[in-house]
Amino acid sequence: MTETTTKHTAPASPIPVIAASYIGPPLMPNRDALWEENELPLNADALVNEVMGQPMRRAGRFIKMVSCGGLACLQQVSPDYLKGKKTGIFLATGLGNVDEILPFITQVFKHGGGFPSPNQFANSVSNAAAFVMARICEVTGTVLTVSQEELSFESALWLAQTYLEHGRIDIALVGGCDIFTPTAEEYRERVNVSCGNARRLPMGESSSWLLLGKNEEQNIGHILAVDFYDTVGAPDQRFDKQTILSDLCDARGKGRIVLPGFRIRQTDLNGWKDGGWETEDYLPCCGIHSTASAFGIARTLREKTNSVFVHYNCSASGRHAFVSGSTKS
Amino acid sequence: MNSGDIYVRGWGAVTTLGWNATDAARNLIEAQAPPAKPGRSSHLINRDFNVFEVSHPGNPLEKAMAMLEGAIDEAFERAGLSPDEIAESSVLIGTTGGLFIRNEHEFIEAVRKNPDGETPPISCRNRGAGEVADFITKKYGIRGMALTFSIACVSSSHALVVAADLLQSRKIRRAIVIGFEPLLNMTLHGFSSLLLFDYERCRPFCATRAGMQIGEAASAVILDSGQNLSSRYTFSGGYLYNDIKSMTSAGIDGVTVSEVVRHTLDSARLSADDIIAIKAHGTGTKDNDLSEGRGLVRLFGEKLPPVVSLKGAIGHTLGAAGTAETALWLSCLDEGIIPRSFGFSKMDPEIGFTPSQKNIDARDGAYLFTFFGFGGTCTSYLIIRNSTENSSARAGSS
Repeated sequence: MTETTTKHTAPASPIPVIAASYIGPPLMPNRDALWEENELPLNADALVNEVMGQPMRRAGRFIKMVSCGGLACLQQVSPDYLKGKKTGIFLATGLGNVDEILPFITQVFKHGGGFPSPNQFANSVSNAAAFVMARICEVTGTVLTVSQEELSFESALWLAQTYLEHGRIDIALVGGCDIFTPTAEEYRERVNVSCGNARRLPMGESSSWLLLGKNEEQNIGHILAVDFYDTVGAPDQRFDKQTILSDLCDARGKGRIVLPGFRIRQTDLNGWKDGGWETEDYLPCCGIHSTASAFGIARTLREKTNSVFVHYNCSASGRHAFVSGSTKS
Repeated sequence: MNSGDIYVRGWGAVTTLGWNATDAARNLIEAQAPPAKPGRSSHLINRDFNVFEVSHPGNPLEKAMAMLEGAIDEAFERAGLSPDEIAESSVLIGTTGGLFIRNEHEFIEAVRKNPDGETPPISCRNRGAGEVADFITKKYGIRGMALTFSIACVSSSHALVVAADLLQSRKIRRAIVIGFEPLLNMTLHGFSSLLLFDYERCRPFCATRAGMQIGEAASAVILDSGQNLSSRYTFSGGYLYNDIKSMTSAGIDGVTVSEVVRHTLDSARLSADDIIAIKAHGTGTKDNDLSEGRGLVRLFGEKLPPVVSLKGAIGHTLGAAGTAETALWLSCLDEGIIPRSFGFSKMDPEIGFTPSQKNIDARDGAYLFTFFGFGGTCTSYLIIRNSTENSSARAGSS
């Protein structure tokens, strides 16, 4: 095996997670519920009313999901929590506003000439959702929309962690959002899900967010490390890296949870199992989508106690990403 | 120069002015910058839009990929990167459309091949903006971090500032920052629907301006923090700001713009007097130019240095504007010239200045770059041209 590089090491100190939230396909904040791929996407208006307290009439579904997810996270802390703090917003999305792009370009390419809507175009611009989120939070500093296919959330989290560590911001609101856009077959193609490169699960969606601080004592857990590797070679040798990473987590006296991403096969988990790691399969709760890892990590931080966890995923091109963290005692 | 300095080690650009930044700069300096023309590419469905289009014999997808490779190869060559240095670099991409060109090209081809059949709705098969980074890292064997920023017109300018931040934090070894934006029906029709398209010509800061004209570009700027470099240019004062007052305007009173630039100067410990020239965003839209122009006047007052918008010559290259305009500007400085602004004919009294109308000899010192985009996004940074003696001495002392 050729281990080409280890790019990023653990942070100097763990990053406190002040709050977390997740919204999956049933559109119920911080709750799991039954859902069916063939009934997606569900209308988000009830969710908007529940979280925002008022409708968002001109926004598309992606913007609604981003806003509701981010606000659901912020509602875990006091309303003035962000005041006076340098806050950064890091929105991760693999596909972005496809729900607005598709009808817009359908009009553009309509035989005989269509009527592309200016509002639809404005909503389809890649950072429209981040703007709405920034306005809700009144954040004027670092607001970044990060996209890196199935490692989008891990990339945004790594960036947020860097900005926190080096004092460029005091607080980071980091979220991942991708939405189900029919048809399921085309959606699979967009997420690059084909036979053999991902687990066989329904396609889904979520908007899941973490509020990260620097040294807050009141927290629901910590992000310990976000690491990326490029590997080419035999899968069994990858566990060397996992052992190294698990050493970063002081797991003594704590539960050990591995969260497999949608490209991780059962056989990839054997080494973890042998090492006493329990598999928490969150994907049936949210389905496959580019930023599913955000859902898995936020859900674990909220639902599990006294545990260390590692989220493990890889891209179709062979980049591996690990996010390790700990839940509250 | 300090050990924490960020150096601009190389750059490359493919624009309507040429297939590399040097040729483009020479064309710009010699005023070989024809106005936008109706798009000829096979995927464009409406010839009413005047665009700044790159010529290429292949299909639109082949052209887009050739542009991308051309810009990267030029930047690698100018930087003198070894294969090992390329491999250990990180890639930061700024793009809004990503590889959406593939959808548009394939759809038009499908219709062309079946002229009598019913036109199916266009599908969206691309894998999001991050697909470009995946292509580049695989093609060039880059193993560092890959990050894609999709932040409208500041995508690659924001990427440059983030890259500098990551270098200063020592989180990455070297940054290859890429802007990529092929011409798309989607954006042409989009800006037209917003009534932001000038059907005649692009006229930055001009009283007669009526909107933007779109250009296409692929571009790359390589930032490095290594000690053994002989680069003549340093990157400084990068600042990102998000104006939440309006999704589409940076405030026509100019306050936001002046504060953004002030912050950049302060963080670089420079004053307004130190700026030799300004590479302005200057889109040619009513509001952008008003807010930017007023902001610059507000800050610089009577001492406003030469202001240049490159969009009258290469169009608005959207997410690629940051790296494309930086690359073109640096090649002009290498030729010893601060280029003139194109498309201007009449001063707007509400703005109160005339953008630079003649080429000026370039001096060593600080050049200001500004970019303002949809969603209240603002980027500002400085590039310092150091004297050749200083650059050589630094490289020699290591």
